[in-house]
Amino acid sequence: MTEVFTPQLAAIFESLVEDESGIHYGPAERPLFTSKIAAQAAEAGYENLLDYYYRLRYDDPDRVEMRALVESLTVHETYFFREIMPLRELVDGHLTDLVRAHGRARVWSAACSGGEEPLTLAMLLDQRGLTDRVEIVASDLSETAIARARSGRHARRSLRPPYPEDLASAYLEISEKGVTSSPRLREAIRFRTLNLLDEAAIEELGRFDVILCRNVLIYFRDPSIIRVLDRLARSLAAGGLLAVGIAESLLRFGTSFACEERGGAFFYRSAR
Amino acid sequence: MTIAPRYGLSDTEQTRVEHIDHLFSLGAPSVDELIGLISDGSWTVRRAVVGALSALGDDAVAPLCMWLRAVRTSEHAIAAVIDALAGSIARATSDAVMGLFDDANPAIVADAAVILGRRRELEMSPRLARLLAHADDNVAVAAIEALGTIGGTVAVDALIEVVRSKSFFRTFPALQVLARTSDPRSIAPIAELLDDEAFQFEAARALGRTGSPLAIGPLASLLSRPGSSIVRLVATALADLATRADWTGAQLSVASAMRALIAPALDRFTAALLGSDIQERLAIAKVLGTIGATTTLPVLVAMLDDPESRGVATDAIGRIGSLHNDALIEALERGSAATRVALLPIIGASSAVSRVRRLLSDEDPEVRARACEALVRIGDVDTLPALFAALGDSNPRVSHAATAAIYSLGTQSVSQLARTALGSPQPTVRRHALRIITFLSCGDAFDEVLAAVDDPDLRIAELAVAALGSFDDGRVDPVLIALAQRPQDKLRAATMRAAVQRGGERMTELLGRGLTDEDAWVRYYACQGLGRVASMGSIPALIERLSDASAHVRVAAIEALSRLDTPQAWQALRSAVRSTDVDEKRAALVGISHSDRQEALPILLDAAKSADVATCLIALAGLVRSSDARALEQLSAAAGGAIEEIRAAALSLLVERPDRLAADLLVETALAHEADHPAHLALSSPGSVRIAAIAARLDGADDRIAPILAAALARMGGADALAALFDALAATSPAARTAVATALLAVGAAGAHEAISRLVVDDPDQEVRRACLAAVQGARSA
Repeated sequence: MTEVFTPQLAAIFESLVEDESGIHYGPAERPLFTSKIAAQAAEAGYENLLDYYYRLRYDDPDRVEMRALVESLTVHETYFFREIMPLRELVDGHLTDLVRAHGRARVWSAACSGGEEPLTLAMLLDQRGLTDRVEIVASDLSETAIARARSGRHARRSLRPPYPEDLASAYLEISEKGVTSSPRLREAIRFRTLNLLDEAAIEELGRFDVILCRNVLIYFRDPSIIRVLDRLARSLAAGGLLAVGIAESLLRFGTSFACEERGGAFFYRSAR
Repeated sequence: MTIAPRYGLSDTEQTRVEHIDHLFSLGAPSVDELIGLISDGSWTVRRAVVGALSALGDDAVAPLCMWLRAVRTSEHAIAAVIDALAGSIARATSDAVMGLFDDANPAIVADAAVILGRRRELEMSPRLARLLAHADDNVAVAAIEALGTIGGTVAVDALIEVVRSKSFFRTFPALQVLARTSDPRSIAPIAELLDDEAFQFEAARALGRTGSPLAIGPLASLLSRPGSSIVRLVATALADLATRADWTGAQLSVASAMRALIAPALDRFTAALLGSDIQERLAIAKVLGTIGATTTLPVLVAMLDDPESRGVATDAIGRIGSLHNDALIEALERGSAATRVALLPIIGASSAVSRVRRLLSDEDPEVRARACEALVRIGDVDTLPALFAALGDSNPRVSHAATAAIYSLGTQSVSQLARTALGSPQPTVRRHALRIITFLSCGDAFDEVLAAVDDPDLRIAELAVAALGSFDDGRVDPVLIALAQRPQDKLRAATMRAAVQRGGERMTELLGRGLTDEDAWVRYYACQGLGRVASMGSIPALIERLSDASAHVRVAAIEALSRLDTPQAWQALRSAVRSTDVDEKRAALVGISHSDRQEALPILLDAAKSADVATCLIALAGLVRSSDARALEQLSAAAGGAIEEIRAAALSLLVERPDRLAADLLVETALAHEADHPAHLALSSPGSVRIAAIAARLDGADDRIAPILAAALARMGGADALAALFDALAATSPAARTAVATALLAVGAAGAHEAISRLVVDDPDQEVRRACLAAVQGARSA
């Protein structure tokens, strides 16, 4: 593959990938983006990038090639106990209250990557004896990431100091080679692949009391964020809470979600 | 004015916004009612009122000023009125707002200062400077911030006075504004505050923001004090200074001054890493990289394992590495995988070859891939067998990197190695071998390639057909004609691609037959091919393909027609550009953008406004060929637009244009945006036409733009740009002479000191003489 990636060609692929996954690649990420596209095109047997694009657009009825491309582009950058404070607040506050009042609660980790976030949540719930009362659904766009989550095998860098020693020693097996999560935790989580732009698939999941969609929207542009938020708002049960990453704010998108502070952490409640 | 419905706007808000829209359409009679709505509880509604009042211009200015003086119902409403006046389109706004300066209420005077600052009219600076002596702190601070927003050096003397007053509330903001003036007179008064505990921190940071080599001496003097916190403070300021110097073109003199004044304390910088936060670590890495001492390499290499500091550390190592390759190679050997990944792109010395070769078997695939790339930079042809072995790497990134490396290193021996690789049991190796044979047209591999056409792996067979197309061998055409009869769709499609490579009458006939093949991809490549071989006789058949059942065949037909400039083909493109399918539209637009027809221009101008980035980029690439003023205006608008990709493309297209008008537009685009806008970097791309445009604008430049233009020439560097700077020492504008003198001293241009010393004595303008004196004295003491 020796073809030069012109700005026009890069824009065409960026638009295609964004339409499929919501993920936006801007000029800053372009060298990495284009090198991955070129490698994927060559792997698929295309020496010409525009031919590969037309294959993706017009001759990929089961989206097999498109999924392979998106898979090659996604970054699975997360770790256990990341931004744990809001999770503790959810477990000790909102979820405990719900279980007390209704006996059960549902949580959706909407972009769980290799499962580190829902597994952290499951540890907190297990510590408080709530595992059987809270259903956790965890999804990600990447089949590879979900397979890794199901396997329970994580890279060594998925555990970064400082971390809560008590939880790590109780639920994780840590070695030089990597980290293995407790099978009991994994059994408490229903993992599945899901595209956040796929409205029908989200509808199938039903309503949730809590949705975790953290450090995902930073990869999206405003129109995709608005679309996803609109869908998440509809997936929240009455009084449900949405958690986004610390660096993310939904305030500029209008009034569909009202921001509220709980024990120092910020959550969004649907104002519908 | 129409305000589109917003996400999450309630019904009542929407109704109120529509009412505001209606009031705006009524004009002047509605001003009072609009002002009455400025206290609305909804932020969105208030924004709509502000927009309407700003757009009503002269009719709204006096009532708004009156409201600000006499009504002032709430903080929200005051903020909205300030917004409306700051954004007002009325020319007389600033004069009307200045009328508020005599009000007895300091809050009103401060509001007026804020408005003038946001309007960024340089001529208001002297009036704002007078407010610095106002008895009320809030007024003075508002004036300082306004001057900071406007920029320029008009208020330097007044700001120096404020800085020296050590007034707690006024000195801090004045420090920041003074630092940004780039006036050499600002260094000494800021440096004086380094001895005052209360102001030391902010003064050091302000010195960093000057970006001036003259500020390094005062910052270095802080290092005589004990403790690591002072070292971290100096590092942060120096890192700011070095970053800013990248913009002013003073990198070399800054690096040289740092090596002279800071290097003796380097051990303290590396020691201060312990216990520093991430920002401080990044700053220390930047300083170490700027100074470029090999002794600091181990510290920087250790930082590569931290994802947050890896980028800056890599950059710093890159700077040092170019000076000290041996130390870099040693670090490559000892470091972690992350270190090797970060270091390999910097490696280029032939002495590193054996160590880099060993990394082809590293356990980390990214290291293996980067080792392939590094071997190309080193130019190590002896490594070709090892690179061929890497074609079988289990990671595609590595095998592709090895293939690309073989392309680059290609020598006589490659053909034999590729033929051997073609016999590999690994399909991946055979595939890459065929790519290499195709790329280098290794005709001596004809027999092996012909055999590969029957490889059970269809992807290998396809690549073999492609390789045949690349050979200059009379035996190929009959083979391709036979292959076009094969039952496998993919082989026939590959044959079409190969036929294009061959060209000639027989292959054109073959492509023509492909247009009616049962497989869509064969038809697709046949269309493409007929366009590429410029087969005029195929136009009617290609037009027929415009209604093919497969979308990609239609697109390929458009693409082919875009290469065939006949009235019939043009008509087809005009029709396709109106298609609702984005790919058909883009393909037609590519053809139109290559056309010299006059009718192309309005189509391209229209497409350049498309919301689809790729469509817009194609149109802009077409417009750059046009000499029509409308095309340039559109390019200029895109260069200043909000979408990063479009902006970057438009800027690079403007840079590519050799004409003065494009350069003038680039100057104006840069001046209309802040210093971090990419137009500034584009403006400093070397080129005589840009030098002429900058020099012309610099001649009459005011206080705000003169430093920007002088910095653009300084960044550009080179003899012509420096000559333009020296010429500008005789510019009409005193502000230009001052800015150019400062820039020449900052870059350390030969002869600058003498030339500027003459200005100290001879310049007719007192301010220029004073600024030049401060610059010369500062340079001398540094």
